[in-house]
Amino acid sequence: MTIWVLIGILIKILIVVGVTQGTVAYLILVERKIAAYAQDRIGPNRCGREVGVPFALLQPLADGAKMLLKEDVVPKYVTKPLYILAPWIAIATAMVGFAVVPFGPVGPNELINFQIAPNVDIGILYVMAVGSLAVYGVILAGWASNNKYAFIGGLRSSAQLISYEIPLGLSILGMVMIAGSLDLNRIIAWQDAHGWGIFYQPLAFVLFFTSAFAETNRLPFDLPESEQELVGGFHTEYSAMKFGMFFLGEYLHIITACFVTVALFFGGWDMPGLNVEQTGILWSLLKVGVFAAKVGLAILFIMWIRWTLPRFRYDQLMDLAWKSMIPLALINLVATAGVVQLVRTYWS
Amino acid sequence: MTDASFILATLGVLLGATGTYLLLPHRRGEAKARTLYILGGTFAALGLLGFLLLLTPPALSPLADLIAGSFFYLFAAGALGCGVMTVTSRNPVYSALWFAGVVISTAGLFLLIDAQFLAAGTIIVYAGAIIVTFLFVIMLAQMEGKAVYDRAARSPGRAVFTCFLLLWSLAYSLAALPGSHRPKEIVAGEDRLHRGRELGADFFPQSPGAVPRVVLGKALRPTSSLFVDGDPSKPKPNVAGLGESLYADHLLTVELAGSILFAALIAAVLIANPRPIGGAGKAA
Repeated sequence: MTIWVLIGILIKILIVVGVTQGTVAYLILVERKIAAYAQDRIGPNRCGREVGVPFALLQPLADGAKMLLKEDVVPKYVTKPLYILAPWIAIATAMVGFAVVPFGPVGPNELINFQIAPNVDIGILYVMAVGSLAVYGVILAGWASNNKYAFIGGLRSSAQLISYEIPLGLSILGMVMIAGSLDLNRIIAWQDAHGWGIFYQPLAFVLFFTSAFAETNRLPFDLPESEQELVGGFHTEYSAMKFGMFFLGEYLHIITACFVTVALFFGGWDMPGLNVEQTGILWSLLKVGVFAAKVGLAILFIMWIRWTLPRFRYDQLMDLAWKSMIPLALINLVATAGVVQLVRTYWS
Repeated sequence: MTDASFILATLGVLLGATGTYLLLPHRRGEAKARTLYILGGTFAALGLLGFLLLLTPPALSPLADLIAGSFFYLFAAGALGCGVMTVTSRNPVYSALWFAGVVISTAGLFLLIDAQFLAAGTIIVYAGAIIVTFLFVIMLAQMEGKAVYDRAARSPGRAVFTCFLLLWSLAYSLAALPGSHRPKEIVAGEDRLHRGRELGADFFPQSPGAVPRVVLGKALRPTSSLFVDGDPSKPKPNVAGLGESLYADHLLTVELAGSILFAALIAAVLIANPRPIGGAGKAA
């Protein structure tokens, strides 16, 4: 019995790893296309045309092959063990977070639980814990490179990540209090019964999504790797697949952040017409599709923002976190706690 | 405690102490010979092995127990090994990183005994915030080159003696306990809830037997209704149980800690302010 559970979990892990890596490859193509349209260009449209594949759909393969086949330069002056360890930390912390992300409906009556580790009571807290480790990859890469630009990039990044973790954590607490659980499945089930979280916690959604931008080092918060000032920031000295791993880790973080955003504020798999009682395999697949579509829209939104807004200045970035977002998140938290207590006391 | 395990514990502790002493940095920060490091590493590894043999080996038959047992040994050995590396590394950056390893291994041990909240909290607070701040400071402080006081051990002999004496007495007293205590078998006492309610009744006296309808009683209601799938026979979720305990058992402690932290926060803001307090306008 146990062995089958174990094999099932291993298969789930393999599927999740494979699907997310493949998605990342195509996200890079999507990003390049969106960048091209935003800048009034055409973007990649050739790769695969000779063998009859339209829309440059083979471009990700070419990009991946390029990453793997380029020369892997390790400069002489780096601290070698940490220099090699840093990209692995970046990719590992991004992958481990997927363990508790629900990809679809999860429950005792479901045929397949679309989650690697169901029944993890702390759910969202685990995602936060693993996400807080991601800073090691960046700071170690910056320090081990033994290069001023990389080091400044690493320092900026660690300050940024630590600062934005606070509003990120505070803004999810509102939804956690309303739904009464840290488990993402229960939060989705609550939204299925009462309506999406964004209608109850609009301010928390704005704060969470903004912090998620900063946590994933995306524009307009990509100070750690701003090209004009820092060459490439913390990954200046990295080449070939080691650079590719940082890239992969960044995109995996975006996928995790979008899954959590959708699960917290957009009802996860919930749509008008779908509810917890529908359990068959077809309903499950439909819910997975709805969830994936919502996550895809969120990712597209993040890419759209990247090519729309200019980069912040560093002091503006820190002011935004400490002087506006943290106070707003605290006000939101206290107000939500008050309302929840009043509702529980007088209306139930 | 049998004679064999007593000898094993003593031997393990002695080997570990010798190995750690050899691995520790030189007293004046000079480089040691490579053979000394290899010898020390071998001794420390043998000591760790002897210490792990002292524990009950994981049960082989149900697969779940085997996996859980293997993970226990992995995390336990990881925590001890990383701990030794933390004190013996000559480079403070590596020390901080090995310490992060200790914290993560400990969080793994917490997960194994189903203390999920504690595991996540440990990682967020220690590995995610405090050690990163350490790294920050160490990396910035080392810009000028390597200082001797960073690479030297202060009285390594006495430190090793004290620590391993403590470890030996701990191993002795743990092994002397009759039978093996598994956390699973310790039934969570229901009385902590009652104690919380009694505490509430002390502040707001009511007729005996009545459930106190004070703030405390209302605060308890939502958490205690959080059973798994609405089934009261199943154990309460981790976080709800912890929250209930914090706000029923330890209400005064939590409030006190909150007040102290708030005062510390105000103090931190005052210290961080570059302008002298009261003398507005004057240069600092």
